[in-house]
Amino acid sequence: MNRKFIIASLAILFSIHLQAQEVVLKGKELFGNLKARQIGPALMSGRIIDLENHPTNDRILYAGTAGGGVWKSSNGGASFASIFDDHAQSIGVVKVDPNDPDNTVWVGTGEIWTRNSVSIGDGLYKSTDGGSNWKKMGFENSERISSIEINPKNSNEIYVGVLGALWGDSEERGVYKTIDGGKTWEKILYVNQKTGATDIIMDPKNPNTLYAAMWEFRRTAWGFNSGGANSALYKSTDAGKTWNKIHNGFPEGDLGRFALAIAPSNPQIIYSVIESKENKGLYRSEDAGASWKLLNGDFGLVVRPFYFSRLVVDPKNPDILVKGGLFGSISRDGGKTFKNLGNMHADIHDIVFDINNSDRMYVGTDGGVYRSWDGGSTMDMVDNLPVSQFYHISVDNEEPYNIYGGLQDNGSWWGPSSSPGGIEARDWNPVGYGDGFRVLKHPTKNIIYSEMQGAQNVWRYDVDKNYTKNIQPLPIKGEADLRFNWNAPMAVSSHQPNRFYMASQFLHVSEDMGDNWKKISPDLTTNDPAKQDKESGGISVDKSGAETHTTIFTIAESPIDEKIIWIGTDDGNVQVTQDGGTTWTNTVANIEGLPKNTWVYHIEASVHNKGTAYAVFDGHTSGDMNTYVYKTSDFGKTWKSLATSDIKGFARNIQEDYVKEDLLYLGTEFGLFITIDGGKNWSRFTNNMPATAVHFIDLQKKTNDLVLGTHGRGVIIIDDISPLRQINQEMLSKDVHFFAAKPSIIKEEGGFGGGSTELQFKGDNPGSSAKIIYYLKKRHTFGKMTLSIQDEKGNKIIDLVPGKSKGINIVDWNFRKKGPKVAAGKTFTFGGFTAPRASAGKYKIVLTKGKKQYESTITLQNDPTSIITEKERISHKNATQELFNDMEDLAYLVYKIDENIKKAEALNKKDPASQKVTSAVIKELNALKETLVVTTGDNYVAEAEPQLREKLSKLYGEVANQFEKPSFAKLENKEVLETRLNEGKATYEKINGKQIAKLNKYLTKAGDTPAQILTKQEFLSK
Amino acid sequence: MSALKSILVAMILAISTSFYAQTADEIIDNYFENTGGKENWQKLEGITMKGVMKMQNMEIPFEQVMMKDGRQATTIELQGNKMVWAAYDGETSWSRNQMTMEAEKSDNEATENMKKQSKDWPSPFLNYKEKGYTVELIGNETVDGTDTFKIKVTKDPIMVNGQSQPNISHYYFDTENFVPIIVEEQINEGPMKGQKIKMSISDYQEVEGLYFPFSQSSDFQSMDFKEFVLNPELEETLFTFPEGK
Repeated sequence: MNRKFIIASLAILFSIHLQAQEVVLKGKELFGNLKARQIGPALMSGRIIDLENHPTNDRILYAGTAGGGVWKSSNGGASFASIFDDHAQSIGVVKVDPNDPDNTVWVGTGEIWTRNSVSIGDGLYKSTDGGSNWKKMGFENSERISSIEINPKNSNEIYVGVLGALWGDSEERGVYKTIDGGKTWEKILYVNQKTGATDIIMDPKNPNTLYAAMWEFRRTAWGFNSGGANSALYKSTDAGKTWNKIHNGFPEGDLGRFALAIAPSNPQIIYSVIESKENKGLYRSEDAGASWKLLNGDFGLVVRPFYFSRLVVDPKNPDILVKGGLFGSISRDGGKTFKNLGNMHADIHDIVFDINNSDRMYVGTDGGVYRSWDGGSTMDMVDNLPVSQFYHISVDNEEPYNIYGGLQDNGSWWGPSSSPGGIEARDWNPVGYGDGFRVLKHPTKNIIYSEMQGAQNVWRYDVDKNYTKNIQPLPIKGEADLRFNWNAPMAVSSHQPNRFYMASQFLHVSEDMGDNWKKISPDLTTNDPAKQDKESGGISVDKSGAETHTTIFTIAESPIDEKIIWIGTDDGNVQVTQDGGTTWTNTVANIEGLPKNTWVYHIEASVHNKGTAYAVFDGHTSGDMNTYVYKTSDFGKTWKSLATSDIKGFARNIQEDYVKEDLLYLGTEFGLFITIDGGKNWSRFTNNMPATAVHFIDLQKKTNDLVLGTHGRGVIIIDDISPLRQINQEMLSKDVHFFAAKPSIIKEEGGFGGGSTELQFKGDNPGSSAKIIYYLKKRHTFGKMTLSIQDEKGNKIIDLVPGKSKGINIVDWNFRKKGPKVAAGKTFTFGGFTAPRASAGKYKIVLTKGKKQYESTITLQNDPTSIITEKERISHKNATQELFNDMEDLAYLVYKIDENIKKAEALNKKDPASQKVTSAVIKELNALKETLVVTTGDNYVAEAEPQLREKLSKLYGEVANQFEKPSFAKLENKEVLETRLNEGKATYEKINGKQIAKLNKYLTKAGDTPAQILTKQEFLSK
Repeated sequence: MSALKSILVAMILAISTSFYAQTADEIIDNYFENTGGKENWQKLEGITMKGVMKMQNMEIPFEQVMMKDGRQATTIELQGNKMVWAAYDGETSWSRNQMTMEAEKSDNEATENMKKQSKDWPSPFLNYKEKGYTVELIGNETVDGTDTFKIKVTKDPIMVNGQSQPNISHYYFDTENFVPIIVEEQINEGPMKGQKIKMSISDYQEVEGLYFPFSQSSDFQSMDFKEFVLNPELEETLFTFPEGK
């Protein structure tokens, strides 16, 4: 198994070239090499916004995602790698410069398919090295960039379409132009604060001819409006100096969003899909936009224009065109008729044709990237794009614990935090359809609660029985209809295992896992009828329930007192009851600096004090992108803001540490922020943590793992954050500080796993090694630094590779000691690579930095679930040690044989007269050696018959790797091999006394010296 | 002792100049100045690096030789067998097959890329303009908890699976003493294609007036150097492809 690894590592090796004040540490200075672990999953992937291919190299493809940044494939879409981790992860458009396609890539951030859950962008970026480094090129406040067009003859001439803000007015909208490669920008087409650019298209044969689609649109928390008098299609024939509407043949009246495409093989042919009350559908122009004809108004073309307005024409054939949509539509007769694309995840956002072969297509959906080799009829999903979009996550208390969560248009799932061979697609289990949101495990039973959008279904799933029941609360006779949020809140009680909460505008409680419900509150929202829009959508009515407003969004039962329950509403109320729902107090008026009616995204009831809670507010749906984080210690009578300028992005979730009250974890639209001083200073966590939107955070109580549900990069875990609890001024001022650690458990496991191909995403496991955690005040760069483990007597067990970062360093020790010295043979013996395991007990950690030495201890403990007795462990340990010694005895024996043979051969060469003496030595020793180690063959099918070394190392390896006492068969086998070893030693002594003695005599006579044999001790320590 | 003194001197020097260093060239000049001087680096004809490589449970003693003309050889010792594992003699690049332990020639692309890599001696930054390389200061970045200058070096394009591909590395120079502490390179083949591998560099020590990092480690393996021999005298056969062996 190790073979492959050795090869790989050696290849890498070969290619490497030489080469007294308060201490406030921020970001990486503090976190050192404490690293996040991205576990996906990728099996359902996530929403893809824009695909872009390289104009001359068909192996290169870019995918811009809704919340997971930009991914690049350099193997024709077989696999992708993330290239935009440090920047806003919501992407509008990716564009490759046709003049320098290998290097220059532009990215406009901010998703353009403006559903309710979209994130925001923060401007335009450029890379001049194929995506390795990115530079911001302006448009910080654009929120959404829809299009980038570059003159194919002049890289300095670029047009950018800004769609702009979704939830407010903005003057940044419109079409911009640069003629100096992006240093300066001129706004060349602007309509008004409500109307943005959805598409700019350049005539491929004439860069002075441009088409621009402008769209009037607006979203609120409670509604969406597409269209208006200002939506229009424009054309310029003078490189953007003047623009004219080209509506000849279009429907009259207010228009909505346009889809727009030009046929690359014949730029006279232009297609547009128009959103309109009357005569909506696909229009075709054969005179470059001078006149238009309606061809088709099929459902597939006109459905949900705000979500699907991408139209793509085959680069070679002007009559083949594809339209994004619920299923995606393709026409092969110039747009007269359409059929659906092949079977894949619904909601098609973008399509690209391969540059050389139009039968090869790539499609971006709500569920990842698909590829086709037969013109879009058969679709194959890309399995390694972990851009899944969680709305919510939770964890259970199993070992290993499981993570539960719901995703945008990808149902609800649960999967393990660790799995043999890595966390694979097959480890994840579905537990709900539609859009998934909150998924909660029953505290004691094997039952999972999950839901779909607007609580249309609330499932109680009995895992053991594989049985599901819909348990949603329903309106009671004579009372108001229930208003459930798109992402409806649910909660399980930490006091009564069968108690289950759900909330509409009321708080509902069930004491029997959802079979029966009781309302325990009045309407806790503002119940503002102006925010209860039943006819959302604008020109195209769009009733999905996504805009249901004036609802409860968060439920927080106090972990200390079941009578205390906090409620947060999407219209800005923070309500608390201290008597189990009899009386409620709205505390939001006590919060200073918070705009009215700001969405209460999360409330965290403290484990430390009854009256303490944290509230996070999110105003982005009213255009307010500020961060709002508050703490109360008196049931909401007073609130204190914990937001500082360290935090980037509006916040959605906060998690309190269970042990250290001042340690808080905050999830915002641009990542994870941590404070160790109660909110005075915040640090962004960036070690393997992209700038993705963190929608929910949970802290696993047994492992202290911080588990993040991100809306674009799946589940991200920071394993064991407990070192953060130990940070204080005293330790920060020390050069080296070892963190106290719980005893490390030597897990007794070993199995199989790993059925994924190299193109399937696999999440890393947490690692079962002992962790040595220390803080360095300064990065170690000059002079020697070592880290070793010693037994209590001070004997060195093993050297580890020390971490040298400033901040926290985590070094793994896999409980193994040094491996044995192995006898030299023609090939390798794989058992010989086995190192024995250290026994349970206390060990010294010794860190040496230059002349200074720092010490700590580490305790290893046996697996508490083990059934192995102490006596059996001792037998195992002794047998392992004896076999280890046998291995080294044999190594020494073979060494002595080899040295004598070498000497004899050298003499034979030099002095032919010595032949009689030397050949006797060579013959006898070789005959012996052939019984001890293999001297022929290879490591594969030409393998030689195993000799003593091979048999001994196989037995040694097996015994050393197990935990229990060796079986009688193994012990018997050990005896047989040891007898052979002793025979070998005896034979050597015989030869040594006879043939070698003769040789040595001859040598001495000739003024030479006998073979210089190291002592065993010297040999072993060599 | 003298090594320690020079480190101190180097560091003080570094601190006093760090405020002025702004361009990539200044940073690179500082690096050479602090690690022995350009002239001395230029004089270097070859080097043997002896150490131990650690991967998983294995500790593999190795010796790596690199010569000014691009020749190089890596000798390893595994289970009592010492062998040249991989080498390049200026024309032929080869390594041992893991199954047969026999030497096999590297594919033509790897060999060509090895030839190109010869120019890196002893550092891609030394006379980088003459090498035809370009460098760019990307900016300041915190890595390993430490403020660094991120410098991109673009070398001659390499061939990967039939296509020419840009060859870019990033070096993170500690702003305090101007030595690289992280080198980042892109993985061009295999399941991790397109991802980046970071090599952490530390334990700089003086060897005959030049400073070398005695420790290099990545997520996959680490190398702990025990000895650097400058301008070693070697048998020519060390590098040669062992025909029929």
